Amino acid sequence: MIFFLLLLVLVVIAQIAEFFIPVLPWFYDAHVYIVPVIVFYGAMALPFPFMLALALWAGLLLDALTVQVIGGKVEISMGSSILLYGVLAGLMHGLRPLFARGHWEVHCILSGIGTSLIVLMQYLMIAFRRGSPVFTREVWWQIGGPGLIAMAIAPIMFWFLQWMGRMTGYSYIFERERVE
Amino acid sequence: MSRTNVIALLIFGAILAYFLSFGPESTRKFKAGVYQLLAPFFSSGSGLQKQLTSVRTGLKSLDQLEREKSALQVENRALHATNQALRDVEHEVNRLRHALNYRERSVFKLIAAEVIARDSSTWWRTVTINRGKRDGVEPDTSVVTDEGLVGKTTTVSDSISVVLLISDENCKVAASVEGSREQGIVSGERVTTGLNPILDLNFLSKQADLKPGQKVYTSGMGGVFPSGLLVGVVKSFRVRELDGQAQLAPAVDLSHLEDVFVVTGRK
Repeated sequence: MIFFLLLLVLVVIAQIAEFFIPVLPWFYDAHVYIVPVIVFYGAMALPFPFMLALALWAGLLLDALTVQVIGGKVEISMGSSILLYGVLAGLMHGLRPLFARGHWEVHCILSGIGTSLIVLMQYLMIAFRRGSPVFTREVWWQIGGPGLIAMAIAPIMFWFLQWMGRMTGYSYIFERERVE
Repeated sequence: MSRTNVIALLIFGAILAYFLSFGPESTRKFKAGVYQLLAPFFSSGSGLQKQLTSVRTGLKSLDQLEREKSALQVENRALHATNQALRDVEHEVNRLRHALNYRERSVFKLIAAEVIARDSSTWWRTVTINRGKRDGVEPDTSVVTDEGLVGKTTTVSDSISVVLLISDENCKVAASVEGSREQGIVSGERVTTGLNPILDLNFLSKQADLKPGQKVYTSGMGGVFPSGLLVGVVKSFRVRELDGQAQLAPAVDLSHLEDVFVVTGRK
């Protein structure tokens, strides 16, 4: 429970930190997203109901802090990110036996893909609303860049979160490991 | 699937449905509430970021001097902005004097604000400023610097506000071109990379034939942006199938915004 609460707090801190992390000009202005990596780790480390609660929390914060209401119109409805996080975290949760067996590299790659999917879905939603789906090289880099960055930072984040789990006496993953 | 999981899924679905049913006004209010709740963290984060930047650049000075310098800089920029606003109004009045009845010259009322955070999303160009409802800021209010137009406010909480930059595709500004009768709509591009975004001035006549260096000002149509604010400078012009389009360099360096001013009206 302590570990779950810590993840909730970490999601808030990471979401605010993202406002202060500058884009990478040498990488097509790609943004650095930390929250998806935490959520995807949570999807593997937490039981199903807690995983859903974490996805809900992260999606709500993402929508509340990034979605813009412009001229009385909302391009991405509140709740869309909750659904996205819920589905992606659910998929990740299904692959947790692999993680318990020590195949964390699969999940690092999936964290990157998941991050890019979130950015892609956001783009598709705004492109649909604006009525002109444009897919230039820059657009693909802005979608793929955050995913590649997430893949790169995932091992460090996973190691840190794993360490935090041990420090707080969290044993869910290890219990499952023994069972399997 | 266990009963606990099914119940969790049902609760998740119910909460999701609740948020999906939010309209624009509910969304705006909810966003403002969340921003207000997190405002102290944004302010602390901004302070921390400045300290880190200060250490990184190796510049160290006494706290008192730093504060005084910042206050003087803000005051100086406020004076510059007022001066620029006066010039812009004068330009607009002079241009339209023959066509319209002489209108009383007016001066903008400005609220000084500091940029405390930049956009954290890939698809919107925004900054967060440390002024809100408490200071008299409302949604859809113009934001300027002494150099020209920055954007408009969208979400406004009690103490902080989100500003949509003119480099965002959704920030549309009715504008007119200096030295011509051409009018059009300025908007940003969906994806911009690099430090200098480009603005598009659309719906010009095919015969516009704008020259590089011509200045573009807000025309005041649409009601959000007052007339006479400098938007940018023409870089190039091209004729499209149905209209003419000019590309502009923004008047304001949007990548290094620090102090801005919210226009609350005219004196």
